[in-house]
Amino acid sequence: MAAQPSPRVANAPLTQPAAPLLRIAQVEKVYGGRQGPVRAVASASLEIGRGEFVSLLGPSGCGKSTLLMMIAGLETPTGGTIELDGSPVIRPRRDIGIIFQDATLLPWKTTIENVLFPIRILKLPLAPYRERARELLAMVGLGGFENHKPSQLSGGMRQRVAICRALIHDPAILLMDEPFSALDAITRDQMNEALSEIMDKTAKTVIFVTHSIREAAFLSDRVVVMGGRPSHVVLDERMPFGRPRRLAIEENPEFGRVVRHLRLTIEQAHGTAPTGRSAGGE
Amino acid sequence: MAGAIGTETGAILSGPGQTPRLGFGLSGVRAVLLPVALAVATLAAWQAFVVIGNIPPVILPSPVSTLRYIVEHWDILLTHAVPTTLESAIGFVLATLLGVLLAIVITYSTLAREALYPNLVFFQLIPKIALAPLFIIWLGIGMQSRVAFAVFIAFFPVVIATSAGFASVDRGMLRLCRSLTASEWQVFTHVRFPAALPHIFSGMKVAITLAIIGVIIGEFITAQAGLGYLIIFATARADTEVSMAAIVVLCVCGLLLYGLVALGEIAANRIFSADPA
Repeated sequence: MAAQPSPRVANAPLTQPAAPLLRIAQVEKVYGGRQGPVRAVASASLEIGRGEFVSLLGPSGCGKSTLLMMIAGLETPTGGTIELDGSPVIRPRRDIGIIFQDATLLPWKTTIENVLFPIRILKLPLAPYRERARELLAMVGLGGFENHKPSQLSGGMRQRVAICRALIHDPAILLMDEPFSALDAITRDQMNEALSEIMDKTAKTVIFVTHSIREAAFLSDRVVVMGGRPSHVVLDERMPFGRPRRLAIEENPEFGRVVRHLRLTIEQAHGTAPTGRSAGGE
Repeated sequence: MAGAIGTETGAILSGPGQTPRLGFGLSGVRAVLLPVALAVATLAAWQAFVVIGNIPPVILPSPVSTLRYIVEHWDILLTHAVPTTLESAIGFVLATLLGVLLAIVITYSTLAREALYPNLVFFQLIPKIALAPLFIIWLGIGMQSRVAFAVFIAFFPVVIATSAGFASVDRGMLRLCRSLTASEWQVFTHVRFPAALPHIFSGMKVAITLAIIGVIIGEFITAQAGLGYLIIFATARADTEVSMAAIVVLCVCGLLLYGLVALGEIAANRIFSADPA
């Protein structure tokens, strides 16, 4: 993927130079509920290029997590198609890495063994990946914690281990489902900055689900806002900030303007009148 | 129900939250000394009661005379202790295997769970001791009869504890496995089984005490050899001292078997502990 032109450049053109890595076409998810069917996602279409960091942003229940689970092959769409790297996603695939809200580490395994868990499941040779696991842990700032157990790590550290675990088998795409929402605000800011740095280094394609407007704006190349009833893609907007990014860009008036715009879009999609609250918050 | 004495000790030790620990702190010393002191005091009171009250040994032998009998006739006691311990161990191992196997079936097959589980619970309500004589009819008076009865009464707690353990697995972990295209077998060996181990061991601790009860009951009615046989035989001849000595040896055997299970648990904990190595 190094040969692909990296979109991690400020003000990259909106047109994709090559075929997109992920193509989502008119995807729909209908759950059969007790009071009739519920449309969790209605006709979502989206294309994501290699190396892009795209956030799916919206309030709880807007279908963003459902869409992510369909991209992961963990949920089956009731309509439409999802194509990753030219082949349809109909079940979980080994070229997808996932990070959930909880780190979901095996409590009896050490940090490095948890990172190597996908290698064991995928039956790949352990020896070469052991070195890679060390490098990944060092990259996320966990060098020296290889033989610690999850109970000895903080919430933020555990989620860093989960990031390494998702990256260990070098998947084509990384799916993150509100990975920092269980962390406190300060840790969350730190994790956002760390993630931004890690993604600059690995140049992975990422889909990041969040309900934090600031988080989406800070991390993403593109922010896709989902909302409405039934839920659909309301807005797909490129973030006009260069890389690498530091948390200080949140002080930037341009950042404030983008966040305000995203907030208004979300509120309009939900039919709520814009409130007078400051636009900088969640 | 003399056999219950040895096994009761185990049941108490397996009580909630009582995991055996090797390291003792200051409070650990107290936790050991206090019950030992109480036991010694009870034995002393017993001894005093027998001596001062001039109680005939046929009614109640004193702790000292019981101990003297054990020292003098350890070879006879050992001859009877071996089959009892061996049969209990075999019954326990088979009960554990059967219990874990049934738990796997219940966990992986909805049909089996719905069909089997209510019946297992209902079956547990039967006073199983009442069925012991039937085992003699079905399997004769040999070892297989006693072992089968031990399995019959010991497997239930293993099924319940193990299936609870399999069900206790974090759902997020199962989703992660699914996303990694893990096979059912991989999920079982990497996640479900290790996560269920503490539950399995708590079931096994109950099972070992029940297996011993099963064998003793079997010996009561088949009367060939073993500590249960010795107790019944000696009691019939008003040889209370022998009965008492056999019960003491039975306690020791029960503790030994229970200790082995507890050691296994500690070993498993070493590997599958959330605590730092």
